[in-house]
Amino acid sequence: MFQLLRCVPRVLGTAVAGLRAAAPSLPRLQPASRPCARPFGLLSVRARSVQLPGLLCSGLHTEGDKAFVDFLSDEIKEEKKIQKYKSLPKMSGGWELEVNGTEAKLVRKVAGEKITVTFNINNSIPPAFGGEEEEPSQGQKAEEQEPELTSTPNFVVEVTKDGSSKALVLDCHYPEDEIGQEDDQSDIFSIKEVSFQATGESDWKDTNYTLNTDSLDWGLYDHLMDFLADRGVDNTFADELVELSTALEHQEYISFLEDLKGFVKSK
Amino acid sequence: MSLALRNLQRAVPLRRALLRQRLQAVRGVLGVRAFDLGVVCVDNRKIQQMNRIYREQDTPTDVLSFPFHENLKAGEIPQPDFPDDYNLGDIFLGVEFIFQQCKEDEDYYDILTVTATHGLCHLLGFTHSTEAEWQKMYQKEKQVLQELNKHMGTRLQPLSRGLF
Repeated sequence: MFQLLRCVPRVLGTAVAGLRAAAPSLPRLQPASRPCARPFGLLSVRARSVQLPGLLCSGLHTEGDKAFVDFLSDEIKEEKKIQKYKSLPKMSGGWELEVNGTEAKLVRKVAGEKITVTFNINNSIPPAFGGEEEEPSQGQKAEEQEPELTSTPNFVVEVTKDGSSKALVLDCHYPEDEIGQEDDQSDIFSIKEVSFQATGESDWKDTNYTLNTDSLDWGLYDHLMDFLADRGVDNTFADELVELSTALEHQEYISFLEDLKGFVKSK
Repeated sequence: MSLALRNLQRAVPLRRALLRQRLQAVRGVLGVRAFDLGVVCVDNRKIQQMNRIYREQDTPTDVLSFPFHENLKAGEIPQPDFPDDYNLGDIFLGVEFIFQQCKEDEDYYDILTVTATHGLCHLLGFTHSTEAEWQKMYQKEKQVLQELNKHMGTRLQPLSRGLF
């Protein structure tokens, strides 16, 4: 009779990866207005005669929501405890940061050029692949082995020269780890696509030629990487952007949990 | 065949295009352009870790070579039976260590070129465990670098100079 309770384990103190990677799905709840004559086939008891959380129709929504709110309160507390940065870390190199929800823009002006780097933290945490769970090493608890989640968003670099109507746009990615493999011989970031786009337009034009670097001459590729490095988009920048993106993503996640708690709680 | 260049570090700024140009020149002089080659630029922490694992020496170093074809005779160009075996292996350049060792009157990319030449010679079976082996390696490096100097107007000297 405690089937529903077992479906919703509390996961207090679990590291971020464990919480967000393995959230159990809640059983579908019956709406409060459903007639309470018979519960849905698990037990043949009369409604309201036995106080079983999750089975009483009129109390179902409230009890489940109350548990959800309590769960969220605890999770918000835990997430704030492990929050690495209370405010967003600064990028070196004189970049100005603008944040609009989940989208961040870093802008830098140098020698008649404007460099803008844009990224979105949505879907920026790569899935945690793994085969079987490794056995915890001696003296180490299983929870301590959870890896830190990092946000590695794709980012777009736009370079415009003063007075020009077009921007050179470079779509950059962080390496994706192969399943079960640690790829420690990839560049810290890579350029995937390059194209020219008109300045001032927000929509990417498909009809503009787009250079895909997959089959690009490597000498040309290296020149493009040097071009970016000269404008401050180098390995240091890429590492710092991961820190910034991870901090922003965590901030947004906590904010989402708080909004969710408020929403569920509100009558 | 291809030269795969990777920069895994942020300790030292790196001109990738210039380094590639130099490495391609060395490959050309050595006559190994038909072979794939990997060159990975790493910092002191990484090269020290690798030196510890593979040579049991817990210090940073300038270059570590990992040949694809083992047991080559010094200077022997591999004759593979299969296309996939047209591979010399990988060189890890300790660019941070090299930068720190660079003297004021030395050009960083000249030293990188000389170090990469040394690493490439290792991939081709050259060693310097004995004086005789060192002589062979030194002569080969000298020959390659003299050829490069002719074309690039540089004054590159072998890394193995002064080892014995």
